[in-house]
Amino acid sequence: MLLEVFVILGTIIVYFLRSRKKEETLSFKDGWWGRGQKPDTEEDATIWPFKVETTEKDLSDLYRRLDEARFSEPLEDSCFHYGTNSVYLRKVVSYWKNQFNWKKQVEILNKYPQFKTKIQGIDIHFVHVKPPCLPEGRSAKPLLMVHGWPGSFYEFYKIIPLLTDPASHGLSDEHIFEVICPSIPGYGFSEAPHKQGFNSVSAASVFYELMLRLGFSEFYAQGGDWGWLICTNLAQIAPNHLKGLHLNLASVTNMGFTHLLSILLGRYLPGLFGFQEEDVRRMFPFLKKGLYRILLESGYAHIQATKPDTVGCGLNDSPVGLAAYILEKFSTWTDLEFRNLEDGGLERKFNLDDLLTNIMIYWVSGCIVSSMRFYKENLQKGIGTQKHEKLPVQVPTGIASFPNEIMHTPQAWAQKKYTNIVSFHLMPKGGHFAALEEPELLAEDILQFVGRVEKEQLWRKKGE
Amino acid sequence: MWLALSLREPALGVGGMVVCWLMSRRKIKRLEMGDGWWGSGERPLRENEDERIRPFKIETSDKEIEDLHHRLDQARYAPPLEGAAFHYGFNSDYLQKVVAYWRNQFDWNKQVEILNKYPHFHTTIEGIDIHFIHVKPPYVPHGRAVQPILMVHGWPGSFYEFYKIIPLLTEPAKYGLGDGDVVFEVICPSIPGYGFSEAPHQKGFDSRATARIFHKLMKRLGFKEYYVQGGDWGSRITTNMLVQVMLGAYVPWLVGFTREDVRRMYPFMQKNVYDLLRESGYLHIQATKPDTAGCGVNDSPVGLAAYILEKFSTWTNKSFLHKDDGGLESKYSLDELLTNVMIYWVTSSIVPSMRYYKENFSQDPHLTNDSRIGVYVPSGIAAFPEEIAHTPRSWAKMIFKNIVSYSYMPRGGHFAAFEEPKLLAQDIIHFVRRVEQL
Repeated sequence: MLLEVFVILGTIIVYFLRSRKKEETLSFKDGWWGRGQKPDTEEDATIWPFKVETTEKDLSDLYRRLDEARFSEPLEDSCFHYGTNSVYLRKVVSYWKNQFNWKKQVEILNKYPQFKTKIQGIDIHFVHVKPPCLPEGRSAKPLLMVHGWPGSFYEFYKIIPLLTDPASHGLSDEHIFEVICPSIPGYGFSEAPHKQGFNSVSAASVFYELMLRLGFSEFYAQGGDWGWLICTNLAQIAPNHLKGLHLNLASVTNMGFTHLLSILLGRYLPGLFGFQEEDVRRMFPFLKKGLYRILLESGYAHIQATKPDTVGCGLNDSPVGLAAYILEKFSTWTDLEFRNLEDGGLERKFNLDDLLTNIMIYWVSGCIVSSMRFYKENLQKGIGTQKHEKLPVQVPTGIASFPNEIMHTPQAWAQKKYTNIVSFHLMPKGGHFAALEEPELLAEDILQFVGRVEKEQLWRKKGE
Repeated sequence: MWLALSLREPALGVGGMVVCWLMSRRKIKRLEMGDGWWGSGERPLRENEDERIRPFKIETSDKEIEDLHHRLDQARYAPPLEGAAFHYGFNSDYLQKVVAYWRNQFDWNKQVEILNKYPHFHTTIEGIDIHFIHVKPPYVPHGRAVQPILMVHGWPGSFYEFYKIIPLLTEPAKYGLGDGDVVFEVICPSIPGYGFSEAPHQKGFDSRATARIFHKLMKRLGFKEYYVQGGDWGSRITTNMLVQVMLGAYVPWLVGFTREDVRRMYPFMQKNVYDLLRESGYLHIQATKPDTAGCGVNDSPVGLAAYILEKFSTWTNKSFLHKDDGGLESKYSLDELLTNVMIYWVTSSIVPSMRYYKENFSQDPHLTNDSRIGVYVPSGIAAFPEEIAHTPRSWAKMIFKNIVSYSYMPRGGHFAAFEEPKLLAQDIIHFVRRVEQL
């Protein structure tokens, strides 16, 4: 074991020495993701309204597949340790078939105005919600919220009203937002790229164009999971347009020697490395809470980053398989202890209607394969190797660190990348799907962050 | 470094681990055999297990075939990225062609007849039904000894992988492989959880348990001594190996590498680290969340085919990644490939087959411990050039202390028995000849 540690140490030292030279900016990535050749004509910039639709044919096809589903009996006493427990899965499928009302859920999805527009050759879907009532003389602040995998724009449906109409929800209405939630290309109702190479910088560039097309020259961005990375890239591409960046995940992929040292010694000398007590509690013992945990939980990322078309194939053809795959994340990433429960603890924090609606978005759009390709496009060269991972973020940043995230990033590490952290809060409860699980907590944090930025007009002080 | 080592083994095959166990049974330091119970619920108090060996025939029905056809007809595909070939996994344009063949030309009834041409059996061991085929030579000259050989498949293969090599071993003279001085009777079991062997109902069923069960099987069949052949073998990386790797490219002779070793292993990072990382996603997810990974592919035959056939492409030859059709039909027929897939489909065994990875990895430190004990039984190694990673003799020696033959095969990849049966049979016979003369 010690040998391995030294080899890792050695490798990182070499990396560190090699990556001394730093460039400051990330450029906007232009691209063409449509089918075939890029046409000579200028892109059609119209924005047209969109509604989610469903047909009887879709539903009967789905029900047939649910009826014919083949399950494998779980091992005795395995709970969720081998993945989604098929005994519990059967219950979910029974609910799905008999009680879940997709037509009703589609109506719920359509309650917020949705649109599409073509950018860089593909149709981009987004939700655009304006405040229902703005007090006289006030303006709404545009807020871009980006989802991740295996989520969707639907994850924001509970938090949107808290941000567009805070007063009605017992929150301070000092700041009111108009919220834009796009679907990442390849997810949900956004068209999937037809060309290789569509990564987080591409997505950030597309969303940047979207915001400009909507007429916003200054806005806030919020994200977790892939949304974290896309919004971070956005902050790196267009720092002058982004007033503030709020994240509920702050991973640091460009590890250096100090990181390694802090892993080895941080438990014993927390102060030296800038760790708080809660940081130590969440991170150590490091093997158990860091390394082994990551290994245990990152199989999906490994296969998606290498063979997305293979792993996605069966999931696009079997709704039960798709549900098992996605629900496992909603269980484990909400609370790792849920692996010890026969039902994966899913219904403790979410209701089946919400979980199944998210799954249905993947099913009806057939997007599971393209959603997985995003992993390959971003990770195929390895973690810590891309240019943007080495660049800092100078936009005012607020970070809400939820306790049940798979891996904890302490402020001491985050501030090496996010050099302008305005607020960093260790949240009292909640996991990876913060917007869906703890919308009030997240909304409050966003509001206080924006409050600080606006009060001191921090975006003006960035200066390069 | 440990990451590289634990990736390498199972990337290469599951059968090998079982073989390792079986062989290490008989070495100087004895391994604890232990005992086990894998049936549902509690082990019955009465001691005696039903030891009968029951003949078995694979069956199918119209219903089964109709259900399959119906699923193939309603399959949903996602179009591949432009120019992706097999770099993102199984190309769905080519998959549609395979499925069209599967739906319209593949004849499962006929394939079942082919499967049944060798005698199949079931017997209950440690609470679960073990399936195996047992093929005896049709004709044995008077006084000639028949060598029993146990051949163990891997993932995502099955006993069916051996169908082409079996006749070469039971009737070698007929196929120009010698004058019949070495003749075999072949036993190919299905690993519990694979194909027609019952899946264990309890946690913890690993390669050690498998080896013990197969050893009991051979005993039950009356064999006190037998040969074992497996997909491949694992090896453990040590500090010695690190030094060898670093120097090997420059002074191979100094560290015990041959020129062929160097040709197959370097550039080291590319061939051993990057390639392994690129090819081991399946292993990672199966070793951690098998029930999740297997769920969809147990329900979608098209998904199952994509998942399994991707391995038959890439593990046969890495350059097949660049081909739009994954080079599959250049080495195998669709009938063969689909018959193997059907074995997983009709038995619904993909999930338990994946669980095997988790059971073996959870015990990893345990495995390491016992592997250090080494294998003293005479061993023969056939190193095929297109295997994911090459293990030179000097590394194999760390576990296999008694290597009687080590051959660089001229061609062939991971599914050696399937792809190059004659080459493999020749090497097995050559190895056994040496052992028998000792």
